[in-house]
Amino acid sequence: MSETILEIKNLTKYYGKVKGVENLSLSLNRGEIFGFIGPNGAGKSTTIRSIMNLINKDAGSVLFHGKELTRDDVEAKSRIGYLPSEVFLYDDLTVKGIFDHHESFYRNVPSAAGIHEKRQELVSRLKLDETRPIEDLSLGNLKKVGIVLALMHNPELIIMDEPTSGLDPIMQNVFYELLREEKEKGNTVFYSTHILSEVSKVCDRVGIIRNGELIRAGQVDEISDKQLTFVTVSSDEVDALVEELGVKVLSREEDTVRFANHFPDDELIKKLSNYRIRKILIEEATLEEMFMHYYEEGQADGKA
Amino acid sequence: MVKRELKVNLRGFLIWTGTMLVTLLLIYLVYPSIVSDGKGNKVNEMLEAFPPDLLKAFNMDLAGLDTAYGWLKSEGFTFLYLIIGIYSCLLGSNIVLKEESEKTIEYLAALPITRRKVVLDKVLVSVIYIVSMVAILGIFNVAALNISEQPDNKQLLLLSLTPLFPGIVLFALGLFISTFTHKTKKMLGISIGLVFAMYILGVISEMGEQVKALRYLSVFTLADSRGVITNTELKPACVIVSLILFAGLIILSLVRYQKKELV
Repeated sequence: MSETILEIKNLTKYYGKVKGVENLSLSLNRGEIFGFIGPNGAGKSTTIRSIMNLINKDAGSVLFHGKELTRDDVEAKSRIGYLPSEVFLYDDLTVKGIFDHHESFYRNVPSAAGIHEKRQELVSRLKLDETRPIEDLSLGNLKKVGIVLALMHNPELIIMDEPTSGLDPIMQNVFYELLREEKEKGNTVFYSTHILSEVSKVCDRVGIIRNGELIRAGQVDEISDKQLTFVTVSSDEVDALVEELGVKVLSREEDTVRFANHFPDDELIKKLSNYRIRKILIEEATLEEMFMHYYEEGQADGKA
Repeated sequence: MVKRELKVNLRGFLIWTGTMLVTLLLIYLVYPSIVSDGKGNKVNEMLEAFPPDLLKAFNMDLAGLDTAYGWLKSEGFTFLYLIIGIYSCLLGSNIVLKEESEKTIEYLAALPITRRKVVLDKVLVSVIYIVSMVAILGIFNVAALNISEQPDNKQLLLLSLTPLFPGIVLFALGLFISTFTHKTKKMLGISIGLVFAMYILGVISEMGEQVKALRYLSVFTLADSRGVITNTELKPACVIVSLILFAGLIILSLVRYQKKELV
């Protein structure tokens, strides 16, 4: 059984009457990259800020190696790397200055041994110029500095909020490579994003958050498995067909409909065999379509 | 952390201290011409026409304006209390809060350091700068006045220490109030307003028995320059109350900051 590194139990946070997250539970295992996906305002940053103890939880707990992660647990914090969605650093420093400053906090941390060598390697791979002042950096370069700061002390848990925003495609690939290497070393990554294609590229497991609640969590393959397909059917009896299947029509053009299908393929074929079908197309749902499906389904439930 | 904070706050310290030094230097340079040929006595005569309570409020009943030292004991220290008070209160209200205002708090909070240490390191740096400012201005005053006059050096040294007491309390008060907000912009007006309000209350409290109780609402009472001028000693009660208020407000700030949402 894999070792649990981070466990979030029944996390609830309200901003006044506005829900941030409610009763959210999930756990991360050693050496996995966990994708945390959801649209803007779904509660991703609230979850991350609760883990980092930047905000106060209304209820629930966050456990790191089975122990409550408190805001003053310096030992635990030294083993966590954090990249916020927007990187704000001290404008009066150069890139070298902020890295030196960062290193100074980890001098006596055994797990951060080799921090300087790791910094040099990251700087070289991300093509950063250490002489540049922080205030002159573009959004992408600031993000790269943030990535180095999150990784250089060799953390075993890396928490990243929208890590690729601002990075060009070449740097994005370098970044994905770095994440895979961290995973190979046995480090764990909590990867929050709204870019679904990233999740299928780098994540092992994924959690979908909507309106402050975790609506689905599982292996990436499992989420985008054959449970959901998209079917396009052309038939003169399309109304009767839709009624019998009881599916929600996504689009319709004359006697051609497209719908999301949860029936296994053989059951679907059997049901469709009762009708005269002119044309049929069964498509496997991509992770993106999966996400949109769950999201829209949830929204409809919410409205109902 | 301490090294970085010393560096970040050095510029502000130099500007404030430099400005005060230049102002004092200019006053000491022009003062001899102001009081020459018996003009100083005329100023003193003119002051006699003012209500005694008003003169008392500015120590003008204890010190004449016919010498630079006399000016320092009355108007000079009024100026020093105000400026050091504003500097200290602004420093207190900004030094921790700016991490939130400039959004560097997410980086700082992720470092292996406790919130208590963040606050205490910043308090230490602030105290170093406030004490340094008081010391530099004190040394300058002693040096400058000894060149031109023969002031009572013991009295002058003790007087030079007095801005420290309202200074550190105002610093701690600024720090405490800053734990209730997230933006430094809001704190600028509050800090300056607070210092002036307390200063005015302190002045008014000297203007009669009926309003004497107002002195307890002003931290400038802790400077007790009248006591130092009259008795050439610091009143232990003022020193102790200053230290208690400073420590109490720092503890309250730590408690508040520990629970504060940092976004």
